[in-house]
Amino acid sequence: MVSFSSLEFIFRFLPIFLIVYFATPVKYKDIALLAGSLIFYAFGEPVFIFVLIFTTLVNYLLGRQAWKLGEGFLVQDWQNKKRKRLVIGTIIFDVLVLAVFKGLATFADSALLPLGISFYIFKMISFQADVLRGEIWSMPKLRSTALYFTMFPQVTSGPIMRYNEGEFGWEKSSSLEKFEEGLKYFILGLGMKVLLADRLAILWNDLQMIGFQSISTPLAWFGAAGYSLRLYFDFWGYSLMASGLLVMLGYDFIENFHHPYAAKSIADFYRRWHMTLGSWFKDYIYIPMGGSRCSKGRLILNLALVWILTGIWHGNGYNFIIWGVVLGLFIILEKLFYGKKLQKIPVIGNLYVLLLIPLTWVIFAITDLWQLGIYFGRLFPFIGGAGIAVNSQDIIRYAENYGIYFAAGILLCIPAVFEYYEKHKKSLIVILLLVIIFWFSIYHLSISAGNPFMYLKF
Amino acid sequence: MKFIKKCPVVILLISIGVLLTIVGAAGRRTIYADQEYDPLKKPVLSIVFTAINDAIYPWELFIHENQEVMARGDVQETEELSEEGSDGENQPGEEGIPAITPSPSPKPTPSPEPTPVPEAPLERLEPLRESTHEEYLNHISADIYGDAGTKRAAEYEFATVDESYFDDALFIGDSRTVGLRDYTDLSEHADFYCETSLTIYKVMEENFDGQGTVEEALSNKDYGKIYLMVGINELGRGTTEDFMEKYTEVVDTIHALEPDARIFIQGIMRVSGKKSNSDAIFNNSNINARNNAIATLADNKQIFYIDVNEVVCDEEGNLHEDYTFDQIHLLGAYDEIWKQFLLEHGVVE
Repeated sequence: MVSFSSLEFIFRFLPIFLIVYFATPVKYKDIALLAGSLIFYAFGEPVFIFVLIFTTLVNYLLGRQAWKLGEGFLVQDWQNKKRKRLVIGTIIFDVLVLAVFKGLATFADSALLPLGISFYIFKMISFQADVLRGEIWSMPKLRSTALYFTMFPQVTSGPIMRYNEGEFGWEKSSSLEKFEEGLKYFILGLGMKVLLADRLAILWNDLQMIGFQSISTPLAWFGAAGYSLRLYFDFWGYSLMASGLLVMLGYDFIENFHHPYAAKSIADFYRRWHMTLGSWFKDYIYIPMGGSRCSKGRLILNLALVWILTGIWHGNGYNFIIWGVVLGLFIILEKLFYGKKLQKIPVIGNLYVLLLIPLTWVIFAITDLWQLGIYFGRLFPFIGGAGIAVNSQDIIRYAENYGIYFAAGILLCIPAVFEYYEKHKKSLIVILLLVIIFWFSIYHLSISAGNPFMYLKF
Repeated sequence: MKFIKKCPVVILLISIGVLLTIVGAAGRRTIYADQEYDPLKKPVLSIVFTAINDAIYPWELFIHENQEVMARGDVQETEELSEEGSDGENQPGEEGIPAITPSPSPKPTPSPEPTPVPEAPLERLEPLRESTHEEYLNHISADIYGDAGTKRAAEYEFATVDESYFDDALFIGDSRTVGLRDYTDLSEHADFYCETSLTIYKVMEENFDGQGTVEEALSNKDYGKIYLMVGINELGRGTTEDFMEKYTEVVDTIHALEPDARIFIQGIMRVSGKKSNSDAIFNNSNINARNNAIATLADNKQIFYIDVNEVVCDEEGNLHEDYTFDQIHLLGAYDEIWKQFLLEHGVVE
């Protein structure tokens, strides 16, 4: 149920919640959303909800105390020092909670990782840092702080909103038009997830079924491209659903992806991909460490640290660290040597991104390092050799089966297509298209019983 | 009107949703009786979609209603039947019922006298018992034949052959056979009529990727050997008896169409232990029961039963974990084992 693209969520949780939310007087809407969010989270994580509640309370109580120390016109030095100690102490606590659960998940059992903990702990850290910087104007109330940490459209996978972006405690400007606008984003996201990402996921599954040692080199590249598209529409689709839900409730839209595959460098790509995570790392790690206004050596260190942390944050395998290191390496190289040139020459920059990024996604996708080596061997057969029982014609069959999803996916990667949508979203054609996308997605969800791999017949 | 202008998508979604709900609710006891439905997890309208997937369209509701008016008595009967007899082809049990191993049934009929090379074709064996209603409801394939058929079929002494043996062979099968075609060089010799998700119920109707039907294949070329491996996709559908009835019909049809060809019934390849232990339908106890059934069709003269599980399974009889990623299919590199097995199971007389 915690997946937005499930029948349970769309036809059970959401309608009931929306009726309650809009029937609630404006003054208490926050409470309705908070209660709904806790119920939503409890469905996915009936035990570890206590971790969420406990960390929420700790962060609220200590954060409020720190906020009070910074109140007024004449803040004394001792107050500032105490505030800093308090905030740093709370952040250390947050990091420890995350580290303990990540450690347990990595070394003991992956089921021990509470749902969404990587996201909500990052929100908590951002909240504390914003308190310290004086970026939270009015004293945080329990209900708005708790709501910020737990709100159901974001609790499982972001976007990592900032406390200020929520305008908690303000009267929400919900209206029919806003509801309609949010719903449109939700449908777009649903379509991307169900009609594109879930279909393309089967391609990757097929490659694993065949075994990487037996796929032809063209199929290996096709698979890498397919995985890149799948990941994009999976996550962009999710983010659109999440932000669409918030718009429906009266909040502002939060952009998490801005046409990453149109980027001209790796650094540019990550300014457009999962933007709320990127800006989190920038604001709370990179800039506090000196950012780029420092010596070259320090700059390299800062970037390396940010990208190793990014790798660790993404998963529990060594491949994620390699992935972060490789990205960091290219970003450092771009910063030091050729980044600016890439931005200036149009096609070369695009090709550079479109070639490198899928390769980094392969590292991201394959947690088994031995298998990862085999896959790269198939991508670059002059290094990896001939493979075993390779069918050189395999690409034809897969191109036939998945060509349509590739075509649709590539089309949606072109910024102009989305801009066309934004411009014409009130036209009859777009409206009808959205209605068709919605019901076609529901059709797919119905027949696959929520599991895209149910499609796989043997 | 203003209202409609403000939020046309909301209004369209709600009205279509209401309409579909009405259709779903109206057909709940008639055309949608076979669709699995859990009110806590799914909206009623989802059964309209699952039915479309089974080629039952909403307009059939009206046809059904007309029939109802015309012959009320008959409908009552079909309704009862269809409610009881919902086959679970497209909705393998979500009930999570543990796989119960069918109790080994007593074998009143002693296995036939061991004759090394039987002169006359073997008789077809009769089932020892019937599937119970409970087994049927829980998607358990009952082991109604015991292992008499597999034992008897295994007594045949197969010969080792070379690849040219397959020059007049036809392979019919599901995605496992697709793997054999794509990841061994057998397709340089034999013809393959295989399709992912093929079931015994579709074997004779399927138009294999534009190649045509099996019947057309048999009329176009004289095949000396016909290999068949199907049965995993329909594990959740019907009883062992249902499956066996259809399987027998298909084997007899092929035999009638190509009387001189030898038919090789291949035992359904098992799944890995991981899959078998966690799946109420796709488990090895169900596979073994169905294999025991189809093995009884072997007459060791014109129809043979061979079981690749002998070479791809571990000591516990599960598909070897190292040979598979998805717990069901052989990795491409291991299809070679299957090919070798086929080379060692030729019939030359």
